[in-house]
Amino acid sequence: MSTLLARAPGVSAVRRAARANQLITAGTLIVAVIVVVAVFAPLLAPYPADAGTATHPEIALQAPSLRHLFGTDQVGRDVFSRVLYGARVSPVIAFFVLLIACAIGVPLGVAAGYFGGVTDEIIMRVTDVFLAFPALLLSLAFVAVLTPSLTSLTIAIAIAWWPWYTRLIRGQAASVAGRPYVEACRTLGIPRWRILLRHVLPNSMTPLVVQVSLDAGGVILTISALSFLGLGAQDPVPEWGLMVAEGENYFTTQWWLVTYPGLAILVTALAFTLLGDGLRDTLDPRRLPVR
Amino acid sequence: MKRCRAGLIAVGAVLVSSLAACGGSASSGSSQPGQAASEVFTYDTTTAVMVDGWDPATEYSDGVIAMSEMYETLTHYNSATGAIEPELATSWTAADGGKTWTFHLRHGVYFHTGRPMTAQAAKAAILRTIKLAGGASYIWAAVKTIDTPDPYTLVFHLSYASPIALEASADYSAYIYDTQAAGGGNALTNWLNAGHDAGTGPYTVQTWNKNQEFEVILKSFPRYWGGWTGTHFSKVVFRVVPQDTTAAQLLRSGQVSFIEQINSPLWSSFKGDSAIATVSSPSWQNLLAQLNSKRLSVTVRQAILYAIDYNGIIAALHGAGVASSGIVPPGLLGHFSDLPNYPYDQAKAAALLRQAGYGPGGKALNLSLTYTSGDSNEQVVATIIKSDLAALHVNLSVQALAWPTQWAKGKSSSAAQRQDIFLEYWWPDYADPYSWFANTLETENPPYFNLSYYSNPALDAMINQVEPLVATDKSAAEALYRSMQVTILQQAPMVSLYNVNYQYAMLSGISGFQVNPAYPNVVFVYDLKT
Amino acid sequence: MTRYTIRRVALAIVVVAGVVILTFVIADLVPGDPAVAWAGPHASAAQLARARQYLGLDQPLPVRIGKYFGGILTGNWGTSIHTHQPVLSDIGTAAPATLELVVAALIIAVVVGVPLGLAAARWPGSILDHAIRVIAVLGVSMPIFWLALILQLVFAQRLRVLPVAGQYDPNLIFTHPLVTRTQMPVVDALLSGNWAVLGSSLRHLVLPAVVVAAYPVGVIARMTRAQVLDTLGETHVQMLRSLGFPERTVIGRFSMKLAWNPVAAVLALVFAYSLVNSFLVESIFDWPGLGSYATASVETLDTPAIVGVTLFIGLVYVAANLIVDLVQAALDPRIRLR
Repeated sequence: MSTLLARAPGVSAVRRAARANQLITAGTLIVAVIVVVAVFAPLLAPYPADAGTATHPEIALQAPSLRHLFGTDQVGRDVFSRVLYGARVSPVIAFFVLLIACAIGVPLGVAAGYFGGVTDEIIMRVTDVFLAFPALLLSLAFVAVLTPSLTSLTIAIAIAWWPWYTRLIRGQAASVAGRPYVEACRTLGIPRWRILLRHVLPNSMTPLVVQVSLDAGGVILTISALSFLGLGAQDPVPEWGLMVAEGENYFTTQWWLVTYPGLAILVTALAFTLLGDGLRDTLDPRRLPVR
Repeated sequence: MKRCRAGLIAVGAVLVSSLAACGGSASSGSSQPGQAASEVFTYDTTTAVMVDGWDPATEYSDGVIAMSEMYETLTHYNSATGAIEPELATSWTAADGGKTWTFHLRHGVYFHTGRPMTAQAAKAAILRTIKLAGGASYIWAAVKTIDTPDPYTLVFHLSYASPIALEASADYSAYIYDTQAAGGGNALTNWLNAGHDAGTGPYTVQTWNKNQEFEVILKSFPRYWGGWTGTHFSKVVFRVVPQDTTAAQLLRSGQVSFIEQINSPLWSSFKGDSAIATVSSPSWQNLLAQLNSKRLSVTVRQAILYAIDYNGIIAALHGAGVASSGIVPPGLLGHFSDLPNYPYDQAKAAALLRQAGYGPGGKALNLSLTYTSGDSNEQVVATIIKSDLAALHVNLSVQALAWPTQWAKGKSSSAAQRQDIFLEYWWPDYADPYSWFANTLETENPPYFNLSYYSNPALDAMINQVEPLVATDKSAAEALYRSMQVTILQQAPMVSLYNVNYQYAMLSGISGFQVNPAYPNVVFVYDLKT
Repeated sequence: MTRYTIRRVALAIVVVAGVVILTFVIADLVPGDPAVAWAGPHASAAQLARARQYLGLDQPLPVRIGKYFGGILTGNWGTSIHTHQPVLSDIGTAAPATLELVVAALIIAVVVGVPLGLAAARWPGSILDHAIRVIAVLGVSMPIFWLALILQLVFAQRLRVLPVAGQYDPNLIFTHPLVTRTQMPVVDALLSGNWAVLGSSLRHLVLPAVVVAAYPVGVIARMTRAQVLDTLGETHVQMLRSLGFPERTVIGRFSMKLAWNPVAAVLALVFAYSLVNSFLVESIFDWPGLGSYATASVETLDTPAIVGVTLFIGLVYVAANLIVDLVQAALDPRIRLR
């Protein structure tokens, strides 16, 4: 998504920077809240055991009350506690997904961009093949043939996501590789890997950081979508998408089972998207690849 | 039997009101079908398949719900009175200590193919059912030969005493159909499976839209022996709606006439609505947990049964289930409420696990459970069991699978692929508990429905004895059922977690509906009045 | 142009080959033994060996890949385990319904998203701009399945203004039977003049299409806004302004033309994403499309069907990208020269 620091000088630019700051602030704030909730869940949740295997069937399907802020689910677990603990699931998985995706995608992108030629062609074609599938579909296909679990979910989504970073980094690496000072480094005999590490990589960081924060929201949506389909987290893991799936049949009579976990997904994805938007607006005024 | 019950989400029937002799009362009168859009019978199932097989001889699953409109049996069981009533047979007698049964058949009955039903035709149908050996054909196991001294008399000669009149009222493998349809033989089987029916019932198949929402549409059979005077429905539509909530909405808006089971809270939400009538009734269906007796020792199995919070399960079901005693549900011969059932005793369970070497300090115990996906009740049960076992440091992994997949996995020839706990519903094939024992507990190699893989020759011997006793000495049969259940409780290959409470909802304008546990989830549409 | 076309098509073919191989990898990753699935749980060792031979599992990898390729090209995409039909024919039956849904969603997305983006770009920094940006960002961050449930609850169950599920009122099957040609009720009803079904199917299309449109609306609005603002900064636009053209015309006639290009580019991506997003929504609305087919396949561990759907959508996406690229190149000479 390309950005818009307009060439109109002066006031506009300041306004944009200010708004970008608002976005970053808003996004960071919500992300910080999510992180705090995730870290302090055992203290914040009134019934921490409900996020695990504890069940209380006698109080199943109770409406929200003072004792259970978000009501109880079909086996009597406190929905509020589970939603809080959910912050430890999707965001953490998203973190690992992006970590793995970068670990695979960035080196490949650097190699493609820097070395060019045949290496570039091969890597780019492979990237094209993976990118021929929407991420949700490819991860769905992988998880469906593996045994559904959090691990296979993480791997499956990472497999679908790495090509975006390869493409991104390749562009950056290619443009850096052509610069005169890099040529100078080469004639000076500096080894290739050093050049890659000290010149190519740092310059690619900025757009990567922006892209990763923009993607975090998408990854979280993918995680919850796959769990909703039964392919990700399994009960009793308090994953928000799974909670929506479990509450689906009771939705018209016990609306709280679906509403709160879904809101959590929305707020979390929103936070990362806002953060990503803000970062993009401030850090990288140039066009980014279409996403 | 036959598991596939899992979904039970919503069943509805599109009952398009007939105009027959009633000058268009409920249905805005005209001769256009579909006017009575308010009468819709929708059958809801998760796997989106209502009728998987069309052969009345071998069908052993949900298909009978539709088949019960198209086919009939010799006798019919009235669960309200406990009496066997005439259907295609008007009277019968037993002789020779229950080894000879003579049935007098009804006159003026026609198959949908046009041919009249005679004793010869009935005999051919039963023999074919026996020959194909599928479904519940074991109900005819005692039959040695069948005679047809005249076109309306059927005589069964049995090799041992057996309650044939009762067995002939079964909801599986007891249908009388035209074996000459489409030329008989293999052609008949193919013709049937292409979506045709050769029954005598009030309705016959109009269209079969395989794998689609409006899966089966039936129309009335004009030459039905019961006649069409009065207000009968002229069409029955079976509709597949995977979501409980969608089905509920369809009923509220009057687009379907009848919903089979939906989850309890949703069912309760109908109570205030004057346009909808809710029906709650005990059934002969229960949820079985079959424990893998090849992999788990008796001690471990008993530990598991002590660990389960049965009352918690019942509470979470909100009225969809009641406590079980033994294997046999109330209302059937062989039910006893004073059996040594397992209480919820975590301390006892922990002690037994320790005895077997598991638990804290000992080996870790990892178990797997499978249940049928789409059934929210089974999901609740599985979650509670998982939680109960986790309290004892037993790690249970739960897997929801579509019924065909769950079943295939349970029957897998590779023992490593099989689960440790198999959840499935069971109900009897005819009004007798024999079905549980013969199908789920008798030694089977390879496994079919005995998914606890239990093999106990002493029990097998008792199972073989009980069928004749039902015909000759009821109290002896009862005593035998009792001792079999005591054995099973002690050996713990399986347990009945709860007895299902049928919770149906239908449009309040429809009358004449009676729940009959002998024909689970079947609505005899012909008997309804709009 | 021809040169570009040839290059682009050749690239597409290479990608397609890779796509097929990737789906083979997925199909081959199945942990269970396909021979057992084929021969059934009661098979003996000899039967399993025969099944293995029949399925070609005893042959080396390149041969298997070759056979798989051959099968795909000749239309043999395997047999679905849960419907017992050829996968390709299942897809053929299910695809039109999803297509109808996605096209409707995209129409809504463009009709709603583009004007929103334009309005936001027209008055940047205003309250309207802020509101539109919030809506857009919500659309992009929305869990689709949750939105579907909420909207269904509010509009269909509580307010009763829209139907709950299905493609059109089932009673119309009896009174106004639909002649099916394309398997898309809206199109078929239009073609045969069946107004009752047309009205009913449009009403049933509203909720699912709006839900699926949430994400594309967000993307298109953001994209349009960004592109228009971008072009507004360019010199030729400054010149237009200095020539005295009103802002309305500047945006409408000149910037928008240039903005269409990237919006069109994003359309292919958004089309593919909506295809897959519809998976989450179809079971909620009992929509008999690819999504329902895929979720049923997932529940029954129906690998051939899952792989078939994946391959199908991959191919559709490659085709969509190819078409968009060619159209863009035809319209904008700068692209061909890259």
